[in-house]
Amino acid sequence: MRFQLAALSLRRHASRTLLAVLGVAVSAAMLLDMVMLATGMRQSFATLLGRNGFTIRVSPRGTLPFDTEATIAQARDATITMQRIAGVTAVAPVLGTTIHVLGGPNPVTAFALGVDPAVQGDYELLEGREPVADALVASDALLRATGARIGDTLDVAIGFDPQIRTYTGRRRVVICGRARFTYLSADDRAAALPLASVQAMGGPDRSDRVSLFMVRTAPNVDPEATRLAIERALPRVTALSTAGAIAEAEHRLSYFRQLAFILGAVSLIVGFLLVTTIVTVSVNERIGEIAIMRAIGVSRSHVVHQIVIEGIGLSLTGAAAGLILGVFTARWLNSILRGFPGLPDAIDFFLFQPNSAFRALALLVASGVAAGIYPAWRAASLPISATLREEAVG
Amino acid sequence: MAPWEAAVRTIAIDQRLAADAGLRVGDLVVLAAEPGRANGDTVRIAAIVQRRADPSEVARSEYRIRMHLDQLQRIVGYGDRVDRFAIATAGGAAADSALRRINSVAFGFRAYPSREIAVETSKTFVVVSRFHRAIGMITIVASATFLLCIMLLKVDERRRDVAAMRLMGISRATVVRTVILESSFVALLGSLFGVGLGFVTSALVNAHYQAVYRTPLRFAIVTPGTVAYSVLLSLVLGIGAGALAARRLARTAPLTLFGR
Repeated sequence: MRFQLAALSLRRHASRTLLAVLGVAVSAAMLLDMVMLATGMRQSFATLLGRNGFTIRVSPRGTLPFDTEATIAQARDATITMQRIAGVTAVAPVLGTTIHVLGGPNPVTAFALGVDPAVQGDYELLEGREPVADALVASDALLRATGARIGDTLDVAIGFDPQIRTYTGRRRVVICGRARFTYLSADDRAAALPLASVQAMGGPDRSDRVSLFMVRTAPNVDPEATRLAIERALPRVTALSTAGAIAEAEHRLSYFRQLAFILGAVSLIVGFLLVTTIVTVSVNERIGEIAIMRAIGVSRSHVVHQIVIEGIGLSLTGAAAGLILGVFTARWLNSILRGFPGLPDAIDFFLFQPNSAFRALALLVASGVAAGIYPAWRAASLPISATLREEAVG
Repeated sequence: MAPWEAAVRTIAIDQRLAADAGLRVGDLVVLAAEPGRANGDTVRIAAIVQRRADPSEVARSEYRIRMHLDQLQRIVGYGDRVDRFAIATAGGAAADSALRRINSVAFGFRAYPSREIAVETSKTFVVVSRFHRAIGMITIVASATFLLCIMLLKVDERRRDVAAMRLMGISRATVVRTVILESSFVALLGSLFGVGLGFVTSALVNAHYQAVYRTPLRFAIVTPGTVAYSVLLSLVLGIGAGALAARRLARTAPLTLFGR
């Protein structure tokens, strides 16, 4: 009965109800998008970093991984030192550099990683085999740019000397595989070679040096304790746990999180105000009706319930429409932000997480309930005879 | 000052480093390529410089030092190498011909016009700007719906007044014009209040993010164009909603509006 009356009351002003539902839906969509933005970046980045089980990144002291061109010297000794630390199960050295693929009218420049193929966590082999000496695995973008295929040989150089117009660190390498690079975008031209090859091509500047170590720890070990142990054992490095890396990324992207928080809060307030206004106006218009209902014996709680149900109805319908609208707008907004140059493929700014999404929409519905309480209480507390007289006299 | 101190070379550091490390002009510091390296260069801080309002540096909480090129090359063992050259030309055709000549003899490097580099380096901000526009569009849709809803209700609340006016013999057109005038006044007042709120919030946003990222960059700017656009939009919506509701009320019989 209460539900029927609430539905009839909403249907009486169909256009107004439709507009209110539309307003709540847009607010709900915005709220949902902002929740997806606030939680998605963190979740997506955490998934990316934890993908290959590496829990600690070790870079030259005072730098973040690949933030500068600085390298760690005496890499072999450092690897042995870290392997001896309790809880460390694998150490993957990585040396990043630029290579030039020669042979065409213009050299093709690419990002190259020197890795230990047995423990690497930088790429996923899609086709072919792991690189050995004088072999590399390439990204699709590099294969496209060079027009080469698996099995072809490339003329690769690591540097050049403009004075004598010659390339340095030149070597002929065979493409032995095709790979997807975890931390690079699909458009990045990239290759991975054995670490020793890249170090040798780089000459004395790169000898026994790496840009980064990725460290895997045992599941029952606290990565933070291992991180501190690494920094104690190797004063020349900065060790960063996955949690630390996420915190650093969050600091850099705090703008988006705060924007999400502010716009989410504004959406919630707009949704609340909209439902409050609609329900209040609707109650004001029906004061006479409500007084008659009370006069013929309808209880106060019945009136309150009916009006609160109207608020819930508006919020629920708006939230349901907002869920669909929010998912579509999130996809659109995500596709815009995915345009950031060099963004890894695995990173999404908007991530639909059912728990967070439904919690946000529940908050909006709860605000709808709260929005109906004041007008409902006001309507139920009307002095019956005075209201009827006022309504009759006009 | 000892003779060796007079021979010390000078550097400039940025405000962030000066504040965090407690450094002042005249202080002596040791620069080395790696932490703890014994054979560093002792230099004197000659200046503390303010960072440029460069969006590309905003999220990077790194320190900046300006020093003599040869000294940096020696400290980091970079030899007679540089990352890039910036070349000043007379502009226009001179820039194009310099570009062609450099690229015709270049080996292992390439010259780019500044505008091309600006386009490449600003790609991130193009994305951010596109994202802001998209968020702005959603916000406009949300606020337009809200405004439309409120204006319709506001006019609808006047049904008894409209009925009274009609019963007194005031014409439909006058009633409609009165209601539209009222709703435009409400929309104008609301948008003026909104402009004030916009100025205050943009000042708060700037103060907050300038403190967080320690940069003179302005994050939110209220431009005359933004003000004109928002005022115009709220006026159009206000007048539109007012006209819609007023026409509907004027067409309804006065006694029906009274609920009789």
